[in-house]
Amino acid sequence: MTHSAENPLHHPEVHQASLSGYVANFLITVLVMTAALWLARDNSLPAGSLVGWTSLLALVAVLVQAYLLLHMNWSKAQIWHTVAMILFVPLFVVMIGLTMWMFHGLYQRTAIAMPHQTMAAPMHPAPAASAAAHTVKAA
Amino acid sequence: MFVHLQGPWNPVWGRLSLQAIPYQNPILVGTFLFAMIAALAIVGAVFYFRAGPYLWREWFTTVDHKKIGVMYCLLGLVMLFRGFIDALMIRSQQAMAVGPHSPGYLGALHGYLTPFHIGQVYTAHGLIMVVFAATPLLVGIMNIVVPLQIGARDMAYPYLNALGFWLTAAAAALVMLSLFVGNFAHGGWYGFLPYFELPYSPGVGVDYWMWAFQLSAIGTTMGSINLIATIVKMRAPGMTWMRMPIFTWASLSTNLIALTSFPVLMVSLALLGLDRYFGTHFYTAGQGGNLMLYNDLFWVWGHPEVYFLILPAFGMMSEIIPTFSEKTLFGYATMVVASFAIGGVSWGVWLHHFFTMAAEPSVNSFYSVTTMLVGIPTGVKVFNWIFTMYRGRVRFELPMLWALLALFLLLVGGMTGMMNAFAASDYMWHNGVFVVAHFHMMVLLIASSIFGAVEYWFPKVFGFKLEQRWGKWFFWFMVLGTAWVFVPMFILGFAGMTRRLDYVPVTQWAPYLRVMLVGMAFYVVALGFFVAHLYVSLRDRMKNRVGADPWGTTRNLEWMTHSPVPAYNFAFIPRVHARDEWAWRKEHGMANLGNESFEDIHMPRNTGVPVLLGALSFALCFALVWRIWWLAAACLGLVVLVIILRSFARKTDEVIPATTVAGVERAAQDALASPARG
Repeated sequence: MTHSAENPLHHPEVHQASLSGYVANFLITVLVMTAALWLARDNSLPAGSLVGWTSLLALVAVLVQAYLLLHMNWSKAQIWHTVAMILFVPLFVVMIGLTMWMFHGLYQRTAIAMPHQTMAAPMHPAPAASAAAHTVKAA
Repeated sequence: MFVHLQGPWNPVWGRLSLQAIPYQNPILVGTFLFAMIAALAIVGAVFYFRAGPYLWREWFTTVDHKKIGVMYCLLGLVMLFRGFIDALMIRSQQAMAVGPHSPGYLGALHGYLTPFHIGQVYTAHGLIMVVFAATPLLVGIMNIVVPLQIGARDMAYPYLNALGFWLTAAAAALVMLSLFVGNFAHGGWYGFLPYFELPYSPGVGVDYWMWAFQLSAIGTTMGSINLIATIVKMRAPGMTWMRMPIFTWASLSTNLIALTSFPVLMVSLALLGLDRYFGTHFYTAGQGGNLMLYNDLFWVWGHPEVYFLILPAFGMMSEIIPTFSEKTLFGYATMVVASFAIGGVSWGVWLHHFFTMAAEPSVNSFYSVTTMLVGIPTGVKVFNWIFTMYRGRVRFELPMLWALLALFLLLVGGMTGMMNAFAASDYMWHNGVFVVAHFHMMVLLIASSIFGAVEYWFPKVFGFKLEQRWGKWFFWFMVLGTAWVFVPMFILGFAGMTRRLDYVPVTQWAPYLRVMLVGMAFYVVALGFFVAHLYVSLRDRMKNRVGADPWGTTRNLEWMTHSPVPAYNFAFIPRVHARDEWAWRKEHGMANLGNESFEDIHMPRNTGVPVLLGALSFALCFALVWRIWWLAAACLGLVVLVIILRSFARKTDEVIPATTVAGVERAAQDALASPARG
């Protein structure tokens, strides 16, 4: 509390708030997440494009929340918050990238069925699924 | 919607029934009696001295960063004691249960703990020591010291600070409650999948573990947001980035790690929660689930977490060593870069916790190399500390002894860490006690730094020094205990002993296990000396009163204000002229700048809302553990309601009038000048 007793409602960050922005954020986020849930439950897309579409929807949700809820923009009051957020992007890349690399190799080297194979035959017991994976690889 | 449960459930009590109280187990009954006697003694004392209103007014509802820090440290100390008792049980069980002819007591086939019981003990030991002992102690010390070091009057968000503490305390209370109501997880502190799924762990133990972990993660994340905002926004005028004390730098790095990594833990635990409560298949062995995904997500948090623990410890060493070498810290800029390099590399090493997953050789090689890279910035730090001591006037007072022990343990732990970084050799000792001995070197380094930091900053917070005689006995018996427990553990690791054994099949290991038990006896004696250390210090507190600068050779801003620190920290926000500002002022004859024209000071006002939110969160998690849905819904609703109501509170601040400030300042000056000082 080094600054004096000024009215916090006068801070520029507070002036970013708006009811319409929050409502829009809420509606868009609910819409996007419902769409992702529906895609996953419906399970009619092939595995690759399902992952692609849900990731895209997740990205939309993140961007909408960053802009409408956290008010990350290039205004003078907010630019450093936005820059700080962008500086964390490499962490996402590292974490998701390294995980994908690890699991890609893992799926190839172990008898765990690839996700789309288990999804294609969800009711099969595990040995059958892994046997199917072997056949696919052999073919 | 909810997953089908094995066993009884009813709408009022959920899964809770009288069978959940382990009254048949003599160990737990004894623990319960001990806890009740301790609780009665504390509550009785509070009533006898009529301390209730004082405690509520000055401590429970406080938003003062120093008092919250002290409460964090007390919580950490209590949980350290609990974790130590767990360690004692593990060591004594393993020393007793060796070979097929070893006797069994209390219903156990060998030793005195059944496999289910010792499983809970080592799970609790790990979780408590990492999350509820080390973390609160480190966060507490950062809470106390960082605002003082940067010349601020409080944290950026004092209310959030109190909330973070009370959520952590609620989580710790949940772990303690699992002793007497139900049971705790029994598969290791970091969880095993799919073993922690509902079909294989149908009891409430995993739920206790999961919710306590989750709650503490929320508390720690709040604390990290607060410390980052404080360091970035609240530095005194003139405190440029490159004038910041190294402990503050270390805190910044460590809290950046916490802010970015703890959400990953929350997600990994939340997905497990979905599996256990809604029957999803994130981590199941079939149905599209991926059990290695849990390990991946957990250690994405887990490895940054261990650097979250170690960086503040490094920061403490960087404060203590220059003070007791009577020199400025060697290589300030490299220390800053090293702190951030460690923080950065921490994000690319996590697979080394599961090298044996069967990842590609190229993946394992990558993580071997990144793990070894950690040695470079750490080595820079070690050499910087050594060069700080080189040609300094080294004084072996208690904080310095602890810092030197930490340095020594860092070398042992770091070198064995390099050995563990080889994926090929890790295949030999994965899940073995060699790894356990390695990381205990590292966490004991953290513990040593914490003890050093407590000795070092104690006079600043409480206004008197801790005595040195019993403290030195405590120190040397900790050294003895560490050597006797962990040298045999390294040897057993090479001999192939795996971790978490409830029964040791190889009789040739018995001598080592008994030597380790002797080490535990040294630790018990050390605990006694610690109590004596505290008792004598508190008894002689009037004799050991100190002024602003109790060690005489301190260097940073926190030593400029009075000891104990007034509620407002600094009567005037200091203007910073140099790195090591306090040392600079002493050199330039600016140490005693009296100024009589005091001003009103604007401070945050105490509030009971964080205590209430902590209590509600505790009840919410308890209800979720036992699946008492009405209670969970009610608590969640109340939490939301209290947060909304709090957002309308207008009187969240108050003003300390200039006359009060003048009075406090004069009293501090008089106390210094009084002849009572030794």
